[in-house]
Amino acid sequence: MPVKAKKNIKKKVTFSDDTTTTVSRSNNKAASEFIANHPPVFVRKTFRTIPWHLLLLLCYYIKISSNYNTFTLLMMLIPSQFFYLMYQFNKSTIYGNKRLKLNLTLSFITMIGSFLLSFPTVVLVILYGAPFVEHLALTWLLSLHTAFLAYPALYSVFNCDFKVGLWKKYFIAIVICGWLSCVVIPLDWDRDWQNWPIPVVVGSYLGAFVGYSLGAFI
Amino acid sequence: MDERDIKRSILSTSADEKRIYRTRINKFKKSHFLYVILLICLAVLQFISIAFFTRGFLLSRQVLTNISNHTMDSNSLEPKFDKAVILIVDALRFDFAIPVDENELKANDLYHNNMPVFYNNHIDGGSSLLLKFMADPPTTTLQRLKGLTTGSLPTFVDAGSNFAGEIIEEDNLIKQFYLNNKDVWFVGDDTWDALFQPFLSKQSVPYESLNVWDLNTVDNGVISYFEDNLKSNKWDVLIGHMLGVDHVGHKYGPNHYTMKEKQKQVNKFIEDIIATLDDNTLLVVMGDHGMDHTGNHGGDSIDELESTVFFHTKKPNMFNKLDDSEYNVSNLGKSYRSVNQIDLVSTLSLLLGLPVPYNNLGWPIKEMFTNGVETETVTRIMMNQLLSYKESIGLDFHNEKKTRVNNLLNQISLQDNFTLGHQYESEFLELCKDLWARFDYYSIATGITFMTISLILLLTITELIPSIVMSQMVNEFAPWIGLMTVVSNICFFSVYYVFRTLPIIDNALWCFLFATAIGIIIGCCGPIFDRYNFAWIFSKSWQDLFSDYWSCIGWIIIVLHACLFASNSFTIWEDRIVTFLLISLGMLTLAEFVFLPRRQEPNALLTAKISENEGTTSGVSASTANSDNLPLSRFARLLGGYHSLVLIICTRVASMITICREEQGEYCTPTFTTMSNNSMWCLALCFLTIFIIPGCIKGYYNLTSSYQAAAPIWIDLFLKGTLFINFIYWLLTSVENSDIDYFEQFDFDLNIARYTIARIIAGFSLIAANIGWAMGPLCIKLNVHNTDVKSRYATILGYMNIYGSEYFLLVINMLMAILLFNKPLAQLSICLMCNQMLSILEIVDLLKLKENMIGPIALGLLSYQQFFSTGHQATIPSVQWDVAFILTDKINFPLSHISLVLNTFGPHILVALSVALVTLWKQQPDVLKPQTLLGRIVSNCGMLLTYNTVLCLSSFIWVTVFRRHLMVWKIFCPRYMFASFCLIITQVIIIFGTVAFATSRLIQHINDIFWR
Repeated sequence: MPVKAKKNIKKKVTFSDDTTTTVSRSNNKAASEFIANHPPVFVRKTFRTIPWHLLLLLCYYIKISSNYNTFTLLMMLIPSQFFYLMYQFNKSTIYGNKRLKLNLTLSFITMIGSFLLSFPTVVLVILYGAPFVEHLALTWLLSLHTAFLAYPALYSVFNCDFKVGLWKKYFIAIVICGWLSCVVIPLDWDRDWQNWPIPVVVGSYLGAFVGYSLGAFI
Repeated sequence: MDERDIKRSILSTSADEKRIYRTRINKFKKSHFLYVILLICLAVLQFISIAFFTRGFLLSRQVLTNISNHTMDSNSLEPKFDKAVILIVDALRFDFAIPVDENELKANDLYHNNMPVFYNNHIDGGSSLLLKFMADPPTTTLQRLKGLTTGSLPTFVDAGSNFAGEIIEEDNLIKQFYLNNKDVWFVGDDTWDALFQPFLSKQSVPYESLNVWDLNTVDNGVISYFEDNLKSNKWDVLIGHMLGVDHVGHKYGPNHYTMKEKQKQVNKFIEDIIATLDDNTLLVVMGDHGMDHTGNHGGDSIDELESTVFFHTKKPNMFNKLDDSEYNVSNLGKSYRSVNQIDLVSTLSLLLGLPVPYNNLGWPIKEMFTNGVETETVTRIMMNQLLSYKESIGLDFHNEKKTRVNNLLNQISLQDNFTLGHQYESEFLELCKDLWARFDYYSIATGITFMTISLILLLTITELIPSIVMSQMVNEFAPWIGLMTVVSNICFFSVYYVFRTLPIIDNALWCFLFATAIGIIIGCCGPIFDRYNFAWIFSKSWQDLFSDYWSCIGWIIIVLHACLFASNSFTIWEDRIVTFLLISLGMLTLAEFVFLPRRQEPNALLTAKISENEGTTSGVSASTANSDNLPLSRFARLLGGYHSLVLIICTRVASMITICREEQGEYCTPTFTTMSNNSMWCLALCFLTIFIIPGCIKGYYNLTSSYQAAAPIWIDLFLKGTLFINFIYWLLTSVENSDIDYFEQFDFDLNIARYTIARIIAGFSLIAANIGWAMGPLCIKLNVHNTDVKSRYATILGYMNIYGSEYFLLVINMLMAILLFNKPLAQLSICLMCNQMLSILEIVDLLKLKENMIGPIALGLLSYQQFFSTGHQATIPSVQWDVAFILTDKINFPLSHISLVLNTFGPHILVALSVALVTLWKQQPDVLKPQTLLGRIVSNCGMLLTYNTVLCLSSFIWVTVFRRHLMVWKIFCPRYMFASFCLIITQVIIIFGTVAFATSRLIQHINDIFWR
């Protein structure tokens, strides 16, 4: 029973934002005890969700690629995020009582969604103080990165008809780490990697890594 | 409906109730008075700690008043010249004086190659010598003149006294002229008059120097004076000090065609002098410092330090020039031979046959002495002087250097080698520099300790102790503090009279300050520890200060901002970082309104509930008073989201206005330049603000339909009117600065019009409007339904925001004054600031954070962000000295200083005034008792003060840590001075403006009417 009680608390904290949806759903399907104790949609606590490919990409970005090739990185990120979603993230996500297969059409729509998401992100980054006109292309590249880092979470949002607030933390993790990574920009170390937008790209990758790894546990 | 009618209709109550009200308001008056006393004591404690820290950190140099005499032995040198003409061209940067190849990257024909007289004469083969002249920082004229005449180093503390020069006590060149019966005639900058008045001839003509708008008066005066007197034989030394180049730099920057004209004029003038010189006269032309790319100076960048010195005489072969490669003019003369500025003193003394001033640290310029015998004598003389100075100041080298220097001395005593002597002199100079950068650690530690204690006291008194308890305690503080101050003064003075040489209290004034600070600390601790103990304070601070989400955000902001001073790069980029933090805060509030996460904060809710219930003294239903517990409505969320967006966007737009500091280099393009300030588009935008600012404020007032009665008068009439006149003022200034000579055809003095306008605005906004405000302008209106004559119901429009709407009129008064003293682009920034400020207030109200610390912190952050976007930086050259002449044409004690303070600290003053609005904005009149209201206002003011104190303390600590850092005088020290000034200004405005004057007037006035 103490375990149960703990889980109950957990549920409250996680869904603090939208208890209405949660409550109504669990009322509808209050059949088994499992469902009563679990939210309708959740990510299993496994190590399968750890996005190792992000670390590999970072490794490529920092060590191997010449001159921090942000564009090539993006080209490598998009397919790898897709496979991550297909084989790792989606397989760990439980809808109701079961896992759903990856909906290919939806995943392509989400691709477009991610692409579109990059435009509001550009506005956000500029509001935070990125140069307005110069480096606009670089800022957009950064936004594309962050948008595609959020791609698995975005797919899940689409798959849940925007109703579950569970996925918010994945976005927040990326934003917070991107925010924190700005610390190194003003330092006067005169390193190549301090150039815009490299620190923020690296920061958002780390944020995404932490977010996707720990998202289920928080 | 006027106010009296409302009063009459509401005041028709029994005598009993009136009596209760009287006693309550008397109680309020008493406790208000005691609160002010308490705040003043805390402020005094902080001022004392700043004083101690400053005393320890900015050590002044020991001044010896010994005078050099002629030693009547073989060691004297025959004077080479009888007479000298010394011309100082202020801010003559070295690259102005040398030929610059037009294909060079930095070549600019507006300020290069306009003064060929120097280099042409230099290479001509005659007796001319052009050298680079390295000034010591700080590069302000007063300090440079001291260096140029005493041959000694300045200290940083002198830089602050650039306005008020005093007669130099030290031995100096001018004094030596005087003592050796040489008649010194002077014309030009009146700083000379202040410094050397007793030694100058009666024929001297000083000119007003600090009016940087005036480009020609001083120069024309110098030129005509020289024309009249150059050929006469009455003088022995003729000194001229021209300011034109410097003033052009300050006014327009070097990159302006006026600079070209000015330089050509100076060039012509020097050519004329050279033509009229007689054979026995030495001409010295020099600059006292350079200028940076904006035309300002004061710091220690290479552009500010590099100046020019030029010697010329008609006697042939007087100068023993070195190899031509030493005088390499390529690349803006980067590798050109340079001499120290202080070297000039010994050089001139020896050339004119005077004793070298006693405190001199320079070494004569090598080229001046042609043969071996001469250099040996010179070396002997100089070594005597240096050694006797070293002895009397009681200095010695450190261990590792000692042997090396002693070896050097031995060699010199064997043979008077000029080069070895020079080596010794540089070693000695280094030693002196090191010594005068030594700090008084006792005073520094005292300052930091006092500041820490004051921070703890401030937090305890204003934040931790509940305001209800505080209102009972407040009458205990004043007697305690008074008594303890007397007691500790007696104790410390007795200690002082017995021992006398204790490290900190070594004279009566500092002893008094120290004792007073101790007295205040003990006096504050007395009543606190009477009721509480350390454990309580710790547990309470843990509970209170980190209780909820927004408090944590507030602390994160404070800590991040304070940590900036731990690194020079963060301090350099403080402007961007502060903007970033403010935008992040805006984003967080936006997220709050959009996603509305529910947080568990039982503590905060509980206290809010209790205080609200207690505060309900009449009429208001429980549901209204406890509305804090209700979730935000959809409309409120929409409104809140809108305000967050306004805050974010305004901050982002304002952050585009920046005057870059030099260290930001290529990563920053300055937008706050003289050119953009005078440009058409900027003035056009300023014209628009005449309608935008009142319009925006009106919009915020209309949210609670408070745009009634006094508000239209203040906002639509006063504010709009002042803005319009203000616009005319800046239009005139810009016309005067531009190349339109339209007005010159009329015989019309623009200055008179400008001063009149400026004084009208300043007088109106600072004095008349505040008196008007003290009468109590209410922003409410009785809305009687006329359809029903018998109806006894009436609506009071603007009731919701009765405190806030009235208080904001006071902020508008200050706003009018501050706008006048800010340049057009900064006015745009302040226009945005109005919106930011009101949006923050709305957000704080919508999120029910009135008692949370985030409100004052957001405002504090706003004040720093606006400080940077109104064209300031935490550096000395970025102070906009020219605004000191908005009200008067010369430096005048209160007026110029008020102008400078209102210009530099405008945003801080506005924020310090409006921090009370966090409590008062949208505050209904009968919810809270006057006592409670005052307590909350003091608590919010306390939070703003805490923010500034933390920054000040952090800058104290980090400037001490980095005292040996390469950049300490350039980055950390100005930042610490800025932090101290911010704290002082905020304290003064909060105590006397916000709490003592405004709050008491407002609360009494509104309670007189709505007291039930």
